Amino acid sequence: MKKLILVLSTFFLGIAVNYTSASAAGHITVSINPQSIQANMGDKITYVGTITNNADMAVDNIISYISLANVTLGKEAPMDLEDWSANKAIKIDTIPPHGTYEGKWPMRLINSGGYVAYITVVNKEDITPISSAMSYLEIKRVIRLNPNNVLPVAIGEPALIGGVFMFIAFKRKKG
Amino acid sequence: MMMVQVENLVKSYDGHTALDGLNFGVEEGDIFGFLGPNGAGKTTTIRILTGITKADSGSALIDGHDIFTKPGEVRKIINAFPESNGYYEWMTTYEYLEFFSYLYSAKRSKQEIYKLIESVGLNGMDNLLIRSFSRGMKQRLGIARALINRPRLLFLDEPTNGLDPKGRKDVHDLLMDLNQEQGSTIFLSTHLLDDVERLCNRITIINFGKIVRSGDLAKMERKGTIEDIFFMSTKEKAL
Amino acid sequence: MKAQYIIQKEIRESILTPKGFLWYVFTSVILSILSYFFLTNNELSLLDQSQMLYMIMNFITVLGVLMGLVLGADVFAGEIERGTLEALFLSPVTKIEIAAGKLGAAMVNWWIIFAISLPYLFIVGKGGQNLLRGILYLGILGTLLSLTFSAFSMGLSARTKSMKNSLIISFFIFLLAGSPVFLSAALRMTWFGKILDLVNPFADAINTFDSVVIDSQGFSFQIERIAIICGYTFLSLWFLRRGASRLEI
Repeated sequence: MKKLILVLSTFFLGIAVNYTSASAAGHITVSINPQSIQANMGDKITYVGTITNNADMAVDNIISYISLANVTLGKEAPMDLEDWSANKAIKIDTIPPHGTYEGKWPMRLINSGGYVAYITVVNKEDITPISSAMSYLEIKRVIRLNPNNVLPVAIGEPALIGGVFMFIAFKRKKG
Repeated sequence: MMMVQVENLVKSYDGHTALDGLNFGVEEGDIFGFLGPNGAGKTTTIRILTGITKADSGSALIDGHDIFTKPGEVRKIINAFPESNGYYEWMTTYEYLEFFSYLYSAKRSKQEIYKLIESVGLNGMDNLLIRSFSRGMKQRLGIARALINRPRLLFLDEPTNGLDPKGRKDVHDLLMDLNQEQGSTIFLSTHLLDDVERLCNRITIINFGKIVRSGDLAKMERKGTIEDIFFMSTKEKAL
Repeated sequence: MKAQYIIQKEIRESILTPKGFLWYVFTSVILSILSYFFLTNNELSLLDQSQMLYMIMNFITVLGVLMGLVLGADVFAGEIERGTLEALFLSPVTKIEIAAGKLGAAMVNWWIIFAISLPYLFIVGKGGQNLLRGILYLGILGTLLSLTFSAFSMGLSARTKSMKNSLIISFFIFLLAGSPVFLSAALRMTWFGKILDLVNPFADAINTFDSVVIDSQGFSFQIERIAIICGYTFLSLWFLRRGASRLEI
């Protein structure tokens, strides 16, 4: 009896585990690479998402997109990728049975802090979206140029042009 | 010698015939009065003879040069004071005349420009901006510009409009001077019959784009006043 | 040549005036704001210097072309409306000389804008790649574009004889030509955007700036685009010559 309960429990646990990972991969699984990055502000990186079709039939019209969330303490928020990446969503026409698709998401790191990135796949045949594991992203702040260099020109040149004009106007009036 | 020879000049604008086979001549040294009611074709004639506009057909010779084929040659010896004259109002009187003296190769010296300014009654105004001028002052400046190249043939379209009596007299004296001392031919288009009487030796009257009367003014005046001649002619059919 | 007197007059009328200087002060202020933000704003300061340089070069080209179009619209139509063209036509100066003089003044205007922009280009591009090459290409292509659009606007001015109509058409052409700058990258990939890019001398210029400043490509990569721009320049000059020679008041 105990043996039967153990076998049945193992069987149902196996089904449950399979189901959980399959709702992340009933037909489809998603992975993200690299799994963690440390970079500087202004750097350009590329995330590669591998989408695998585990079914015996092709899957059509898949939408795949990347998400980024700021996990820095006190600044937790989802990120609008408008300025980070031109590629957000990719539409995949078809993935053959047991085939894979590699999507690339280039990104420019425009702000410092701690982030997580993950790729999500939406398939209308599934009832839940499928997400990859999270990739950790640490961006260091880099001081670039000394902005004070621009002030002499930014203030000086309009003043100079105005001064030249006033000189010419004064000379004309005198003449 | 004929300074101006016009033959069968025709010009139409948007279906309206402004000049309908115009024929006339102006002898060198004449002060020639070109009269007609409004819309008769006076300004159109002047614009064609000065090369501003082209005629549809006909010919026009200025001092033997065809205005249609050799406008550059003609412009060296003529000048004009058009009826509607705009000015570079940001310039001073002196700058305006100096600019035009550069455009005509016969460059006038500083003294000559000052003398010209004086001769049109703008004494002491050489450094004033044109935008501060009254209409009469602008008129005088326009005449000064028309004299900048000492033209052998000068076209004037209503030159004394807007001038006070002294201004008119100054212009009359200037034109007489130009004609008698420099030998310039003057082509004067005006409504002011007094001006015609005082200045012109020959006149032509135009109506509906055609010549209706032409001849020596003194001879015409034996038959009646200039007003009578004008009103009678503009009722008659074209020659 | 009498055109030199026309140039002098035009410079005094359009450039050495309060209105003219206001344009230059305005240009300088905008460039000051742009370069200050490029170098101080968090996000903007992350751009490569070559990209900053490229963006400022585009802005200067747009400004030069825009001013050329506005000045060009006034050239004949404005003088007709003010009644001053007749006196010019009465003089021995030919219509072509008048057009050449006015075009010369438009080029002086562009070179002043170019000179004003030089300190900003240096401050933004200093230490980055291709600064001097970028400035050289901006000088040459900016001159060609300014010549092209100024001549076109002047030719239009001679034909329409109306400053209002001339300005409206010029602005429309400017929007069409400047669309590579205004349209998003995605729109430029559409059939409409691709056709515009192909036939547009403005697009050729900014693509050349991209190629030289950002991609560090040599002269051989630019030959075709520069040839197209030169073609448009000749076409515009022909358009102006024809319009001016046939102009009657």
